[in-house]
Amino acid sequence: MAELARTPVVLEVPATIGALGDIAAFVLRLAGRAGLGRRASYRLRLAVDELATNIVMHGYRGGDGRITVRGRSGPGGVQITIEDSAPAFDPVAGRLPPCPGVPPQDRRIGGLGIHLALTSVDEFAYAHRDGRNISTLTVQAEGTDPCPPRP
Amino acid sequence: MPLSVSLSIKGDTTVIELSGELDAETAGDFHQTIEKAAGHGSTTVEIRMADVGYMASAGLRSLVFARQKVADNVTIKVVGAIEPVCRTIRTAGLDRSIVISDE
Repeated sequence: MAELARTPVVLEVPATIGALGDIAAFVLRLAGRAGLGRRASYRLRLAVDELATNIVMHGYRGGDGRITVRGRSGPGGVQITIEDSAPAFDPVAGRLPPCPGVPPQDRRIGGLGIHLALTSVDEFAYAHRDGRNISTLTVQAEGTDPCPPRP
Repeated sequence: MPLSVSLSIKGDTTVIELSGELDAETAGDFHQTIEKAAGHGSTTVEIRMADVGYMASAGLRSLVFARQKVADNVTIKVVGAIEPVCRTIRTAGLDRSIVISDE
C-alpha cells in the first residue's frame, strides 16, 4: 500500500439518503488527490456509497443518526473509514453473495450492495468499538479485478 | 447528480432512456418508469444507459424488478452502459437474464 497522509480529512453528515451525494463528492475528491484512475475511483465510490446506504437504510432504519467518514490519500491509494453508532453490524457477516442456483430474478437483492462493496475494494476491515461500527476500506490505483467471477 | 428518465414506444420495443446517476436517491424514478413500461406489452424493453455515469445496487434492484414485472418471453436489454455499470450487472449475475448490448 502506498504511503498515506497521516492526518485524515473528515466529513460528518446526518444519516440520510440526501447526504449520500456529499459523501460521494468527498470520496471522489480524495480519489482525485490520490491520482486514482476512473475505474479505481468508481470502485471506491461504489463501496463507500453501498456501505453508507446500508447504514442509513438498515443501521439507523430511518431514525436520527450521524455518519463520520475519514479519508487518507497517498500516491496511488485511498483509505476510507466509515463510522456510525447504529446497532453493531459486521458487513462481512452480513454479505449476501448472489446464489448460483437461483435465477437472478428470484434472488433476494438485499445484501447485494454489501457484496458489491466488498468486491470493489482491495482491503476491508471491520471493528465494533465504544458502541460504534468502524469499517475501513482501501482502494489502490491498480488493484481489484475489474469484474469478479460471475455467480 | 440527478437522474432523468424518459419512456417511448418504437414498434414492439419500449425504450427507457436514462441519463445521470442511478443510486438510492434517484432509483425511485426509474422504478416507476419500469412499472409503466411493463404495462405496454412490448416484446422488448430496451434500457439505454450510455449517459449513466454511476449505478449502485439500487439500480440493480430496479433491473430485478423489471425482470419480475415483464413476462418471461420479453427481452430486457441494457444498451450502451459504461464498463463499471456492466461490471455491477455481471457481479449480480443479472447478465443471465438481461441482455447487455453495446448498441
